[in-house]
Amino acid sequence: MATTASETAGPPDQATLDALRDGVAGVLAEQSGSTAVHAFIDGKRPLDRDLWSQAASLGWLGFGIPDEYGGLGLGARGLAILHAELGRQAAPGPYIATLSAAQAVADAGNDSIRQAWLPRFASGEISAAVPATPGSAALAWSGQAVSGTLRCLGAPDAGVLLAPVADAWVLVELAGADVTATPMWDPTRTVIDIRLQQAKPAALLDDGAGAALTRAMALAVAADSAGAARSITERTIAYMKTREQFGQPIAGFQALKHRAADLATKLAVADEMVAHAAERAAADADIWVMLAKAEVTEAAVFVTTDCVQLHGGVGFTWDFDPHIFLKRARLNEVLVMANPVLRDQAAAGLAAVTQAGRSALELEP
Amino acid sequence: MSILDKQNDLPAFRQAVRGWLGDVVPSGWKARMASASNDEFIAFQRWWMAERSKAGLAIPHWPKDYGGAGLSLRHLIVIADEIARADAPQARMFTISLIHLPGTLFPHGTEAQKRRHLAGVAKGDVWCQGFSEPNSGSDLASLRCRAVRDGDHYVINGQKIWSSYSMYADWCILLTRTDPDAPKHRGISYFIMDMRSPGVEVRPIRQANGRSEFGELFLTDVRIPAENMIGRENDGWRVAQATLASERGVIAFEGAERQRYEIEAFYRRALASGAPWLRDDQLRREFVGFLAEIQAGRHLLRRLLEENERPGASASVLPSIVKLSGTALRQRICSFMTRIAGVDGQAFAMLAEAPFGSPMFEFMGAFTGTIAGGTNEIMRNIIAERGLGMPRV
Ligand SMILES: Cc1cc2nc3c(=O)[nH]c(=O)nc-3n(C[C@H](O)[C@H](O)[C@H](O)COP(=O)(O)OP(=O)(O)OC[C@H]3O[C@@H](n4cnc5c(N)ncnc54)[C@H](O)[C@@H]3O)c2cc1C
Repeated sequence: MATTASETAGPPDQATLDALRDGVAGVLAEQSGSTAVHAFIDGKRPLDRDLWSQAASLGWLGFGIPDEYGGLGLGARGLAILHAELGRQAAPGPYIATLSAAQAVADAGNDSIRQAWLPRFASGEISAAVPATPGSAALAWSGQAVSGTLRCLGAPDAGVLLAPVADAWVLVELAGADVTATPMWDPTRTVIDIRLQQAKPAALLDDGAGAALTRAMALAVAADSAGAARSITERTIAYMKTREQFGQPIAGFQALKHRAADLATKLAVADEMVAHAAERAAADADIWVMLAKAEVTEAAVFVTTDCVQLHGGVGFTWDFDPHIFLKRARLNEVLVMANPVLRDQAAAGLAAVTQAGRSALELEP
Repeated sequence: MSILDKQNDLPAFRQAVRGWLGDVVPSGWKARMASASNDEFIAFQRWWMAERSKAGLAIPHWPKDYGGAGLSLRHLIVIADEIARADAPQARMFTISLIHLPGTLFPHGTEAQKRRHLAGVAKGDVWCQGFSEPNSGSDLASLRCRAVRDGDHYVINGQKIWSSYSMYADWCILLTRTDPDAPKHRGISYFIMDMRSPGVEVRPIRQANGRSEFGELFLTDVRIPAENMIGRENDGWRVAQATLASERGVIAFEGAERQRYEIEAFYRRALASGAPWLRDDQLRREFVGFLAEIQAGRHLLRRLLEENERPGASASVLPSIVKLSGTALRQRICSFMTRIAGVDGQAFAMLAEAPFGSPMFEFMGAFTGTIAGGTNEIMRNIIAERGLGMPRV
C-alpha cells in the first residue's frame, strides 16, 4: 500500500478501490477476527491500539486526506470502503471520529490549518473526538476561549476535539482536559464526555466544517453499518448450515431460508445506497448521504436483530458474535443525527433541487 | 443520417434517440390507451413496433447477421433511459419476441429456425410463451401438456394458462411432455407452435387490474412439424432454462428508469400544488426513503446488466435479488400512492396520463412483478439455495 502521490492523482478508479478493499479486508480478517474482538471486549488484548498502529502504518488513516498533506486522496469512495471493512470485523477504535474530523479540516480549513493537522491525522499521531450528534449542542465561546461539556465519539486519549461554537467550529487540544469515558453497550467504540474550562482553541474553522463533518460521519456510519450487517449475516448463515435440529441443518428450513434471502437482499440494497452516496461528490451529496445513513443504519438494526434470533440461545450469549454487531448497529443508528431529522433535511434538500428545475436522480453522465 | 450512424459517439447517439422520440411519440397516447379497445391496443402496439423498426431500434442489440445492429450494452442503456425519459410506450406485446425468443434460439435453435423466426420479429411477429399450466406454475417441470410423435409431426393435447398476449400471438414457444415415464425434468420437449394451427383455441382471462392481457390456451390435436422442435426430444427443460434466464434485468431496467421519471414528475406536481402529504412527517419521510431505494435499485440493475456481459453470469443470483427488491419496492410505492390518494384514488380508473394518476390500477398491477416470471417466494428459494448455499431438504 505504498501508494505515491502521483499514482493517486485524480479520482481513484474501480480497480484501485477493489484492490484497496481486498488489502484492508485481508489485514482486518487476520487481525480483528472473532477471537481477537472477543479478547478485546473482555479486556484481554489491546486490539484497538494494535489496529490503530497497523492502520497508521498501512496508510488507512490517510485514505480521505489529500496527498499533499500526507494522505492517499481516495475521497469518499475510499473512505466508504475502509469504514465498511472496519464494520465487517467490528474493529475497535476511533476511526469514524478521526477520519471524519480530518475530512472536515480538509474541506473547511485554510492551508495553514490543513498543514498543521492533516499530516498528524494521517500518521496516526493523534486521534480526534467529535460530537456524537454534531448538530445538538455547542460550546460557549468567549472570543478567546471555549467552555462547556460535550458528549463525543472518540477515544479517551483523543488528542484533539473538533466542536461547534456559536457559528464556527474549533479545534481544541485535549492534553490535560477533563475526559470521562462512558461505558457503552457497543463494546467496540467509545463515547466520552469532554468538559472544557476556558480552553484556548488551537484553530478556528468556519461553519462549513460542521456540514463537512456531518457528511463525513453520516457516510462513515452508513458504510460501517452495511459492512457490519453483511458480516454477521454471513456468519449467521454459516452457523445455520452447521446447527442441526429435527435431524437436519436449520438452514434447510424454508421459513429461515426466506428470511436469509430477505437479509441478503436488504444488504445488496444497502451496499448500493452507500455506494450511491459516496459517488455523489458535489451538488446533491448531502441528500444521498443523509438518506443512506437513515436507511442503512435502520436496515442494519433489522438485519443484526434477526441474526441474534436466527442463532437461538447462543445468539443471546456474550461469547457469540451476533450481539456485538447488533450493539454496533444500534449505536450507529443514533449517531450523527436522528434518522427522522435526516430524512426531513434530505426532503428539504430535494425540494430545493426540484424547485430549481434540476433533477437529483440523474445517474447518466 | 440515421440514429445508428451515430453509434460511435454516445452523446450524439443519445441526442438522436431523444430527437426521434420527440418526433414520433404522440402526446396523449396514455389517455388514449386507457380507454382503448383490444383492437386499438394491438394496432397501437404494432404501430409502435413499426416505428422502432424504421428507426433501427426494434432489435438493436441482436447480432448484425440476424438483422440487429450489434449495439453495446451502453447503447441499450441509453435507449431504455431515453424511452423512459420520453414516457414513450412500452413494447409490451413484443416482450417474448424481443427477449425470450432470441434468448432461446441463439443458444439452442437450428440455423434454419433462427433465419426463419428471428427475421419475423422486426417485422412485427408477436410471440407468446406457453409454459405455465393450471396445475404447473412454480413447479413448472411437472407440466403435463402432451406431445406425441406422429410421422414427421408431433400431436399436441393439453392446456396452457397465463400466457401473456397469446390472443394476439402469431407464434408460441411451447413446453410439452414427450415422455411421461421419465423423471419430470427429463421428459419435456420444447416447440415452436404456429398459433394459427387448427386445434389452437385462446380465451382471454380478465385480470384483477381490469385488463385482459393474458389468456388460456386449449390445444386439441394440434400438429407441429418435427423441425419446429428446439433442442432434442426430452431435452426441453435445459432449453427452457435459457428462456427463463434470458430476461435477466432487461425489462426491469426500463421499468426502473420509467419509475424514476414517474416519481420525479409526481414529486414536482406535489411541490407545485402544495400537496398535503408533504406536510405529514411520516409520509414525507417514507417518500424520501423510496428515493434512496429507487437509486439503489437503478445501481443494482446497472450492475446486473454489466454482469450479464461477463462469462459465468448465469450462476449469479443477482437477477433474483433485483426482482425481489425491485418488485417489492414497486408494491410499497404504489401502496403509498394509494394511501395518499384517499377515497378519490379508489374511483375505478385505468392507465392515467398523470404520474400515479390511477394509484389503484398501479397497485393492482404491481402483482405482475411479484408473481409473473417466478414468484418472489421462488426468488427467495433461489437466493437462499443457489446464492447462499443453504441446503434443499
Ligand atoms: C401477469 C402475469 C403474466 C404471466 N405471463 C405468463 C406467460 O406469458 N407465460 C407463462 O407460461 N406463464 C405466465 N405467467 C405465469 C407465472 O409464471 C405463474 O403465475 C407463476 O410462475 C406462479 O405459478 P402459479 O400461478 O401456478 O402459482 P403457484 O405455483 O400455485 O403458487 C401459489 C403460491 O405458492 C407459493 N409457492 C409455490 N411453490 C413454492 C415453493 N416451492 N416455496 C415457497 N412458496 C411456493 C407461490 O410463491 C405463491 O405464493 C404469468 C403470470 C402473471 C401473473
